[in-house]
Amino acid sequence: MSELVPRPNRRKLGLRIARAFLLTAASGIFWLIIWFLASMLLANFPNYQMLFTVLAWGLLFFTFAIALAEGTIYKYLLIIIRAFFLIVYLAYATNNGILTINFENFALTVEFLPLLALMIVINLLDIARGLLQAIEFAAQSPKD
Amino acid sequence: MRFTIRALGWIIALLWIITLILPVSVVLSLMKLAEGKNMGIQEPIFSLSNGNLSLTIPLYINNTGFYDISEVNVKIKISRANDVIATLLENLPDIPAGLMVNVSCTFSESLNEIFQRYRALLTEDANLDVDAALHFRVAYAVAFNIATNFTTKWGAPFQNLTIYDIAYNITTHVLSFSISFNNHAFFPINEPLTIELYNSDGKKVSSSSLSLNVPSGESFQEKIEVNVDPSKMTRSGFIRLFFSGLKIFEEEWTLS
Repeated sequence: MSELVPRPNRRKLGLRIARAFLLTAASGIFWLIIWFLASMLLANFPNYQMLFTVLAWGLLFFTFAIALAEGTIYKYLLIIIRAFFLIVYLAYATNNGILTINFENFALTVEFLPLLALMIVINLLDIARGLLQAIEFAAQSPKD
Repeated sequence: MRFTIRALGWIIALLWIITLILPVSVVLSLMKLAEGKNMGIQEPIFSLSNGNLSLTIPLYINNTGFYDISEVNVKIKISRANDVIATLLENLPDIPAGLMVNVSCTFSESLNEIFQRYRALLTEDANLDVDAALHFRVAYAVAFNIATNFTTKWGAPFQNLTIYDIAYNITTHVLSFSISFNNHAFFPINEPLTIELYNSDGKKVSSSSLSLNVPSGESFQEKIEVNVDPSKMTRSGFIRLFFSGLKIFEEEWTLS
């Protein structure tokens, strides 16, 4: 009997990894579409390519890690960390909501502080939700 | 707690949808505004009165976009070799969505004040740096600032101001001389020119006023005769010319 115990766990882990890969792949396709659409408007912004790549890879990592941590309290911890990452990175990448593109003799500055503030609020709400979910999870499964 | 978590989830999803739709719709709104003849600028009008220069640009905007346009302003900064000569700011009214607005963008500046600080602009042509910026906010959320800079040529109203052929008639006590200059400015000169003559001791020997009416781009040349006080007259001295209370010229004269 003792030899049979690890088998379901391994299969469970394998399924979890496969699910995480599928979710990450789906997210990757989504970010690729967003990248194509956003490139049409934002291609001229300085460092756009690099900033978008870091954001997309960061979020793909979190998608994979959160899917892998499904059923554990670490999932909620990762959700909270992801929200913090988004707050800091969005503020940094958008230069605190003020972006400037330089054309030949023109400079176009777009200021979207209210939108950035809204994104920060959303992520703060996400942190609050993650905390509540973690508390609820801990209350339901004392083993964790 | 489960209900709170679910409610938070819905709020987060809703806010993300708003956050993503807003910038896209703002761009679409601006694209709708830019197409066709929704914006137009009519011929600018220059006027000069009481030493104040006014530039009026009539324009119309038909806001066919989805959102109101607010905080519309135009800022122009004119400088010469990093010295700011004038800063002009005009705030325009808000343009509600679906409405057409006719506005006039008027810039006014006292030429006397400018010339007080930069007298060389009266007599020397110059290259001026112009920084122009248009600012507006769409949907009260996303602000745009379009800035450009270019160099423009300033035409001096008294370019190449020269005084020559100075002669003194000892019998009539009349000092005669010729004045010439080119009005390179974009505005006509129709304010008087004050002429003051001083002897070698610095005492005023004569003062007179010359009415000017020189259109833009025209040359001026005239022989002037002024009566002088013979008791103060010397063989040399200096002449000063004033325009709008500003000294624009000073040169020594010597009788041959």
